[in-house]
Amino acid sequence: MPSRLTVSVLLALALGGGGVVAHHSFAVFFDDTKSVEIKGTVTEFVFSNPHAVITLTAARTSGGALETWRVETNAQTLLRRRGWTASSLKAGDVITVQGWPSRDGKNYMRMRRVLRADGTELGAPPPAPGTDPSGERR
Amino acid sequence: MTRTVAFALALVLAASVAAAQQKPPDLSGYWGAGRAGQVDPQRVAQLPPNTVVLRDAGAVEFPANEYGGLRVKPAALAAAKQWKPADDMSISRVCQPPSIVYAMQGPFPMEIHQGTELIVMKLEYYDMVRIIFMDKRGHPEKVPHSKVGHSVGHWEGATLVVDTVKVSASTITNNGLNHSDNVHVTERFWLSADGRTLLGLQEFEDPDVLENRGARFMAWDRVPGEFVLPYECDPSFALNYVK
Repeated sequence: MPSRLTVSVLLALALGGGGVVAHHSFAVFFDDTKSVEIKGTVTEFVFSNPHAVITLTAARTSGGALETWRVETNAQTLLRRRGWTASSLKAGDVITVQGWPSRDGKNYMRMRRVLRADGTELGAPPPAPGTDPSGERR
Repeated sequence: MTRTVAFALALVLAASVAAAQQKPPDLSGYWGAGRAGQVDPQRVAQLPPNTVVLRDAGAVEFPANEYGGLRVKPAALAAAKQWKPADDMSISRVCQPPSIVYAMQGPFPMEIHQGTELIVMKLEYYDMVRIIFMDKRGHPEKVPHSKVGHSVGHWEGATLVVDTVKVSASTITNNGLNHSDNVHVTERFWLSADGRTLLGLQEFEDPDVLENRGARFMAWDRVPGEFVLPYECDPSFALNYVK
């Protein structure tokens, strides 16, 4: 018969040993007390779940060196209801992305909205903060 | 003779009215993205003691080390604290669906298809499909664990009550806290007075993990003519984070 300690360790391994996750958490990955805005050129757009991803090159500061950024969006299905499609963005498009930065400081962020070079918004705008039943953060 | 016939007709009419009144509401249709439901004090008062209402339904998510008042047993708490967010961002893990404990409260739509012996809930989130047996069967001992578990339901007046067991271990709060294979989930679903909103109360207990019980109030708004979309999770998404 296993001891209480052994049972606890086994339970901890069972619960923490992987295979029990969902998609990653917005609250854990991104800092919603900060905002980030980058303007850059799209190099790739993958329109899939659990999140679509925009890859673009952008400079952190005006005239600075170009860096690669990856922008995670809402779930693709939620974006589709806001008018996005797989062809909404293509390589070479110049866009401005507003959103929340990754907590770990990587060039990785979560999108709130995307503006095209002419200033028009891509898709329907996100709901006002605090009024969002569909979860702008998922 | 005429009075007898009239009396019989009145009895039939009364029985029909009573039957109509007892007929359960039709929950069928498309229900838009889930959101937090208003916490109903009367229903809270009816919850078993030792139950905490979590305020993370809909778009809200708890940050790391926040479990909404759930009292977590030491082993499970240790496992939760060992969890690192980046652990989830791997090809092998990023598309693993959560269980209904987490999936039902998320901001995704669902379809309900209601029959008399079966109710089907088709969730957009991770393409999950729940079957709720309404034919008074119990939970089979040998039914395998799964992320949707095994559900049986019944009507209490206009409220659908669903009892679910055999739910595979999965996240509770999407921040490292997981329930075990022994979680027991009870859900209640009812319509708002105008029929436009589906309201839900989820309760769960897991003596392997929790010293108390959890509950969430949820809501979905009816949207005629819509359908859930295929989720079709793409695990290559995880590669974006490690690049």
